[in-house]
Amino acid sequence: MHTAEATHEDSHDNLIIDNKKLLMWVFLGSDCMFFGTLISTHLIYRKLYPESFDPTALFSLELTSFSTFILLMSSFLMALAVSAMHKGELKSFRNNVIGVVFFGLIFLGCQVYEFAHFVHEGLTLSTNTFGSTFYMMTGTHGVHVAIGVFWLVCMYFYSHTGKMNAHESAVDVEVAGLYWHFVDIVWIVIFTVVYLIEFI
Amino acid sequence: MTDNDYQPVPLAPDSHKDSETEKYHTFVNLALGLAAITGIELVLVYLPFNKALIFTVLITLSLFKFVAVIAWFMHLIYDKLILTLAFGTGLSIATGTFIALGFLTSRGNVDMEAITGF
Repeated sequence: MHTAEATHEDSHDNLIIDNKKLLMWVFLGSDCMFFGTLISTHLIYRKLYPESFDPTALFSLELTSFSTFILLMSSFLMALAVSAMHKGELKSFRNNVIGVVFFGLIFLGCQVYEFAHFVHEGLTLSTNTFGSTFYMMTGTHGVHVAIGVFWLVCMYFYSHTGKMNAHESAVDVEVAGLYWHFVDIVWIVIFTVVYLIEFI
Repeated sequence: MTDNDYQPVPLAPDSHKDSETEKYHTFVNLALGLAAITGIELVLVYLPFNKALIFTVLITLSLFKFVAVIAWFMHLIYDKLILTLAFGTGLSIATGTFIALGFLTSRGNVDMEAITGF
């Protein structure tokens, strides 16, 4: 019996896509366009006004590399949190989420320090085109990180209410994880095309 | 046999956990790889090599990190094709816009006087 029907079941199973997950992927696709526009604007103005500002005197590659490393490791912990939820290990999930939140806050701290340093050195949102596009782009990314941290903190406290279970909440955690990883990949692009390339 | 006779064969209880354990090792290796690549990128910009070469290597490494996080951390290689298409559509439009704007906004095509408000 079972071969044909099991095959039918399998193919039926393969057609099922969780709505939340699909919606998140579509949202991330649209967010790609959003960040694509911000990054494009920054790079185009750098191309049009290459002599207007030299950011190498301001940028600290060591600090930015550290931020990148922190965000990559937070992505790793987020992947472990999703995996733990799939295995039904709530304690492990909580520990990993705490780690992600901690790393996210470190990243935000580094960004606040960087912005404060730049403003102190005279680069504000209205100083020149570099300042406008740079703060808009990295600031928008920072807001995304802050939203991600808030989301995960909520999820952490929700896990203590007893309403969270491995089967029903795994998709919710996975969706939060997708958002967090997306924030990471956006930073991977910004780190290279905005920071590193200036030093070549 | 009728549909009512069908009893789905339960998965072995450990099979899911085994697959998650396998993923764990992949995640650890990937995290180490990504950290190493970030270190290499940092060192590369200070090396006295040809600028075009360093630029190409940096973009390649960045692309690798980008794809690796999407594929493994975001589970896209384990998931259904439609999710790749949903994300790929947005990513393609973003990349296309970036390339098009890059070509359209060379100094020769822009009225510099009109936009030098700053």
